[in-house]
Amino acid sequence: MIRLSHVSKSFDGGASYAVKDLSFDVAQGETLVLLGSSGCGKTTTLKMINRLIEPSEGAIELDGADVSTLEPVSLRRRIGYVFQGIGLFPHMTIEQNVAIVPRLVGWPRNRRQDRAYELLELMGLEPQTYAPRYPRELSGGEQQRIGVARALATDPEYLLMDEPFGALDALTRDTLQQELLALKARLKKTIVFVTHDIFEALTLADRIAILHEGRLEQVGTPNEILNRPATDFVREFFGKPAQQLAAFKEML
Amino acid sequence: MLAVTWGEFLTSRLHELWLRLGEHIVLVSLSVFAAICIGVPLAMLALRRRWTQTPVLGLVGAFQTMPSIAMLAILLVLTGKTKDIPALIALTLYALLPIVRNTLAGLEGVRADVIEAAHGVGMTRRQTLWMVRVPLAMPVIVAGIKTAAVIAVGVATLSAFIGAGGLGKFINAGLSMKNTKLMVLGAVPAIILAFVVGGVISASEWALAPGRRRRKRGMAGIVMKYLATSLPLLLVAFGVVATMWNPFPKRRYEVEVTYRIGTPGTIRIATKNFTEQFIVGEMMAQLLEARTRLTVKRDFNLAGTMICHEALVQGEMDLYPEYTGTALTAILKREVIADPEKAYEVVAEAYLEQYGLVWLEPFGFNNTYAITVRAADADERGWTRISDLKDDAAELRAGFTAEFSERPDGYPGLQVVYGIEFGSVDDFDPQLMYDAIAHNEVDVICAFATDGRIAAYKLQPLKDDYGFFPPYYAAPVVRAEFLDEHPEVRHVLAALAGRLDDATMQRLNYEVDEKKRDPADVAYEFLVAEGLLKGE
Repeated sequence: MIRLSHVSKSFDGGASYAVKDLSFDVAQGETLVLLGSSGCGKTTTLKMINRLIEPSEGAIELDGADVSTLEPVSLRRRIGYVFQGIGLFPHMTIEQNVAIVPRLVGWPRNRRQDRAYELLELMGLEPQTYAPRYPRELSGGEQQRIGVARALATDPEYLLMDEPFGALDALTRDTLQQELLALKARLKKTIVFVTHDIFEALTLADRIAILHEGRLEQVGTPNEILNRPATDFVREFFGKPAQQLAAFKEML
Repeated sequence: MLAVTWGEFLTSRLHELWLRLGEHIVLVSLSVFAAICIGVPLAMLALRRRWTQTPVLGLVGAFQTMPSIAMLAILLVLTGKTKDIPALIALTLYALLPIVRNTLAGLEGVRADVIEAAHGVGMTRRQTLWMVRVPLAMPVIVAGIKTAAVIAVGVATLSAFIGAGGLGKFINAGLSMKNTKLMVLGAVPAIILAFVVGGVISASEWALAPGRRRRKRGMAGIVMKYLATSLPLLLVAFGVVATMWNPFPKRRYEVEVTYRIGTPGTIRIATKNFTEQFIVGEMMAQLLEARTRLTVKRDFNLAGTMICHEALVQGEMDLYPEYTGTALTAILKREVIADPEKAYEVVAEAYLEQYGLVWLEPFGFNNTYAITVRAADADERGWTRISDLKDDAAELRAGFTAEFSERPDGYPGLQVVYGIEFGSVDDFDPQLMYDAIAHNEVDVICAFATDGRIAAYKLQPLKDDYGFFPPYYAAPVVRAEFLDEHPEVRHVLAALAGRLDDATMQRLNYEVDEKKRDPADVAYEFLVAEGLLKGE
């Protein structure tokens, strides 16, 4: 379980806050989507969980342990992370990319290779074909699958995903979302997923946390949020796309 | 007036060309290797501690900005050594900037999202550096090394000025003797070497590049890749081998040796950077090779009196030819002594006492300065003595060497003693001075009394009627310590004592300066003709 208690982050010594007084829990096996427009503090929140960014105030607990007491490098190796820009290492083969965390934690070579092949298969990429290739030889969708495979390599309990499908075309994104849902069902990971895309949030989330200007507007299941928006902002945030969608349907 | 064809010239120099090429490669490799060992960690430090960036880049930039000759000169003074050490330091300092700058740029230029991913998957700083930054920066780092190596090939040619090895030796000797062939022999291989070095590093970079699209290359492809990767190492290996093993025969002169005297050892002979010194140096070297058990190492063409002198005092060299007048004024800083024998005695005594150096018997010629005019002018205007110039001096153009213009026993003293002030005075390279008077660009020069061009260019030395110029009798100067171990040197070199008068030396100089012959050949022929070596 991940628990944030009164977490704030200021990058300018308190003059302004990227994240202000944020508190929520992520239950075991749950997928929590951090949703908000750009600059709302969702990526900052995500990065504080594995200490890529340190909070200015408040505490973050992982399974009851304050993360600030944990060694950051080993903490990060325990948590799978899928990056906004994919962030594959261009000088490493797909196999090496997928097996990077196992290599860092010192798995033997055979086990690393087996695991990489296993994950490529899981992602629906033929291992013999893809393992020796370099990232630039893959399409955007394939690269993002590798990004997910890399995050899963040591079978971590937690996954942090930072707009992993943001740069993909609509069709590919939809495919990957469906794949992620299937994976989720099979692997039972606890996932914190950042997006600005309402439909992505509704598709993937067990619960959604809506952020606005660094503050938490509402946390709840998609149903609760759609039916009982806690603030005007939330109502507006979901209202606009609904109107657009209605207009779009009309046109069809 | 080309006395030797290119073919003959090349063949006779192959042995040395091979050696110098090897030395050049070794100089460049060692200094670039040192620069990598210093520069890459410096760049990593600058990456980690950002405040060090400005001072680090400023410092290596300053090294690069220093003129090469100035840097070599300063290192010569600082290290107190001639030859390879200051040259290596200078080359290393020059190589630093491209390596540091490129390494830093490469390490910093890695995309931010890749670095974030490295941290995110749980790499430590060190792992991020070595597993991500360094491999991704490699092409940029290698490009820096390439730039550094190519610059080093060029700068290494200059280090011959302080006596280091390499192809610069040819260029330097060519400049000293105004011998175009020798200059070309150094310059062209240096240019080719620069291209080869650049190409070889590019090939290796190509083979090493990560993430290249793999194709089915097969055995041939794999062999190609390994070959390309190891090309720089092969080049270095070639350089090392070339300095130790030479397939080309050394020029050997036929010498009939009845017996050799003394004990085995090595004698290091130095000379200054002009023709006469090379000829006399060769004579001493060949005689010692023929008649003693010593191995002779020639370090000819050192840039001037002070370097030769220091090399002996430091014990880096054992023997070189010096002139009494130079020793008296330039080294001992004493007043001019007009009497040749007195001058020799004073110099010999002071050298032994102050520097532990021994003056052996003089060769016989007096290479003093001679105020020299065109013979035609002298006839026409009736000049025979320096004092005859006094009335016409204001309309005469003088061309002197920079040294003569400065030395108290040069033009400054001449002005005082003779009361002569020339209309204009220009500084010339010693070689160009003779051309200048022959082509009517100047009217008066400070020739050397033994220069072959005095006769060849129809020049007329004027009599030093006030006895102003000190005697410049040449003699071998040798370390006393060395002479104690090898007294046979004194005995063998005594064969040259008094054997070379001014006219003989003029003739020998002329053979080299104007006929472009090799000083070694000229020296050999003289020794044979004199019956000192038994030749063909």
